[in-house]
Amino acid sequence: MNPSQTIHIFKTDIKTPEDKGRLQAVLDRHEDVETWHIDQEDIDCVLRIVSRSASPTQIIDLLHTQGYRCSELA
Amino acid sequence: MELLVHEGFEGFSVNRLAKVCQVSVATLYIYYQDKNDLIIKIAREQITTMGQAMMKGFDPESSFEEGMRRQWANRYQYLVKNPLVGPFMEQLRSSTYMEEVIGSFINDFKGSMERFYKNAVARGEVAPLPFAVFWSIAFAPLYSLLRFHKEKKTVDGSAFKLTEKVLWQTFDLAMKALKPS
Repeated sequence: MNPSQTIHIFKTDIKTPEDKGRLQAVLDRHEDVETWHIDQEDIDCVLRIVSRSASPTQIIDLLHTQGYRCSELA
Repeated sequence: MELLVHEGFEGFSVNRLAKVCQVSVATLYIYYQDKNDLIIKIAREQITTMGQAMMKGFDPESSFEEGMRRQWANRYQYLVKNPLVGPFMEQLRSSTYMEEVIGSFINDFKGSMERFYKNAVARGEVAPLPFAVFWSIAFAPLYSLLRFHKEKKTVDGSAFKLTEKVLWQTFDLAMKALKPS
């Protein structure tokens, strides 16, 4: 990972492969997202985002607009 | 690794590990992408450490008996000192993770052992055997003793503790069996 990149970890309700597919369409073309990964085996469907410039709030807002729950995981 | 051995790969989760280690779930996710990533990284680390311990001081150019003695001593010391490694490797072997983690380690290890074995055959110190036969005589007796030691009993239920005397007595018999007739 590049030192200027930050990892953000979120709890979500992105549960199904269809949800993941929808998210992929949004995140893959998001210019502030370097890489992302969702752990759908975990109870919290943890979303891990590596970004240079996106803030957690921006990512949370982005997921909310897609109709998903999303909050930063402490 | 302890949690993976006790709960199995199925029962294991990042959440559970965070609880046991008393760290936040988010901290673990900074280092690992998910459960699979975590298992693979732990397994790779274990295999590398074990491989280094096994090959410590081992010279593929050494005489057959000297090289085998070194291998037995290394394996014995490492596995007695790290009793969870044996069950972890068993678990790994029967899982889908094995292929992904074994990678380059097996090539280095295999290359070194093959060279060692070929040298010994060329010098007439050991009979030329199919690899499975060689391995079964060369190492399976050691693993059998280590299993009895871990279970603290032998197959007939009698108490057992592996001593150096028993270890080297078994080693001598294995060497005898591998010598050309």
